[in-house]
Amino acid sequence: MKHVLVYVAHKGGVTPKVTFEMATQARKLADQLGGQAHAVVVGPGASQLADTLKTFPLDVVHVNDDKEVDAFLLDPVIDYLEAAAKAVGPSLILIANTLTGKDVAGRLVGRLNAGVCADATDFKIEGGKVEAIMPKMGGAAVTTCALRPGDYGIVTIRPNAFAAQAGGSGAAVQAIDKPAGKTYAVAVENDVEEGTGELALEEAPVVVAGGRGLGGPEPFDTLLKPLAHALGGAVGASRAAADAGWVPYSLQIGQTGKTVSPNLYIAVGISGAIQHKVGMRSSGTIVAINKDGQSPIADFSDLLVVGDAFAILPELTKLVQAAKS
Amino acid sequence: MKIVVTVKLVPDPNAEKRIDSGTKRLVRTGVETVLNPYDEYALEAALQLKEKIGGDTTVTVFSMAPESLKETLRKALAMGADDAVLLSDAGLEGSDVWATAYAISHALKKVGFDLLIVGGLSDDGSTGATPGAIAEYLQTPLVTNVRKADVTGATLKLERETDTGYQDVVAPLPCVMTTALTFGEPRYASLKGIMGAKKKTIAPLNVSELGLSEAVGSGGSKTELLAFAPPPARGKGTVVEAADAAQGAQAIFDFLKERKLV
Repeated sequence: MKHVLVYVAHKGGVTPKVTFEMATQARKLADQLGGQAHAVVVGPGASQLADTLKTFPLDVVHVNDDKEVDAFLLDPVIDYLEAAAKAVGPSLILIANTLTGKDVAGRLVGRLNAGVCADATDFKIEGGKVEAIMPKMGGAAVTTCALRPGDYGIVTIRPNAFAAQAGGSGAAVQAIDKPAGKTYAVAVENDVEEGTGELALEEAPVVVAGGRGLGGPEPFDTLLKPLAHALGGAVGASRAAADAGWVPYSLQIGQTGKTVSPNLYIAVGISGAIQHKVGMRSSGTIVAINKDGQSPIADFSDLLVVGDAFAILPELTKLVQAAKS
Repeated sequence: MKIVVTVKLVPDPNAEKRIDSGTKRLVRTGVETVLNPYDEYALEAALQLKEKIGGDTTVTVFSMAPESLKETLRKALAMGADDAVLLSDAGLEGSDVWATAYAISHALKKVGFDLLIVGGLSDDGSTGATPGAIAEYLQTPLVTNVRKADVTGATLKLERETDTGYQDVVAPLPCVMTTALTFGEPRYASLKGIMGAKKKTIAPLNVSELGLSEAVGSGGSKTELLAFAPPPARGKGTVVEAADAAQGAQAIFDFLKERKLV
């Protein structure tokens, strides 16, 4: 493992922020390993995205606008990544720890006979050996996982864990040939974006989450959303709120939902059961508002305000908005 | 049609997990081993498909676990699976994602399947990469996060959740799929199911039967766990009793300001 290769997931040239976090981190890792930093971006919109990517401190961006990447599930991407990995040579492959990223990482483990460390929030390079630091078991443990020497190794990256910083002298954008003689098994017939225009929960630097204590769906829109927007964050929910149908499951944080680690987590009307705790306890700062000063969340909040969230939240939103303007 | 569901046996996720600071290992004492909750959803999907397809469709549960945990698999049989295969071998201990997928895929080739359903995530490791690696070694298409499935002949019509919405895809059989939690809540085992499970077969399988050409277990793995530590302690925070809304809001605002979060 000498070089670093970043897989850029995108749709029509639109990519999540974690791509740029990886592009920035790739440079640092490549310098420590004494190799180059590459990125692979394929599918419709790739060239357009490459224009942005080349402003990050990468050496080469490999591009192909191949339509079949969107028409078939996963297979074309894996073939391109295999070809790029072979062309670049022994490398550390960085992939975002998202639903798609996990699939890509898994297929590459088999394709390249490579080890994988998942959900890294930090790295250490010791004598050419790559070590990834990862919170595990919902933050109950911090593990250090080393990739054993081999041609290829894969690390999936937790969104929001690394800084994104454009810079460098401009990467070379190179066309990558479509791997020949491949057949693709799974056809995508319909691809629907359910984008609410909101920031993705896993990427949000601030999460304002609501639970059973909110009593219904309305407060998510009228109380939580304004505060989340004022803080530049996103709205999340506990399982109780999702199970009650107040919010879609895509907003659920916890064991059976998403794991988030924003800089600031505000838990509103959430008791803090284990189910929820494991999805958010590695957040930077945790603030809770709850009627009950004895609820479990008191044990892992940096600040617990005991009081009426319905009254406090609008006041807090006003204070934050005033500070911003 | 033969449906195989892989299940993992994990420490009860509802129990608080603790790391023993001396041994640096997970404290398992007093923590029951259960079916990985995500895998119960995979099993539920398999049972629903069996009901939908009918005929001679069978559901086999496959697990890689120490033989001592064999009885935990009875729960899957009680929920409605027809039989089970348990791959147990001391040589598998400490296998990483690569080694696990490599061994499991060889075992599954032996077991045989038309549709393989793999639980999406494991509660203890949360890597999410294993299904992809298994599909790759089996040279079988992979469709993940499926929330709706229809089978017509040898074709699957699937609706899957993506990072930003959902997709409708068409896949051939044989196929590997993982299920989203929205596929359906796992059913409870009925009393009849629990009684019936006692008579169902759990067939043993060991590594020497798989014809592996590479070493597995911790020695054969491509990654190495160097440290396993409790997270930096989060000291007990401040508790403020808000006399009124303005005071409560101000307390939070001042705190955020102090931490440079606003």
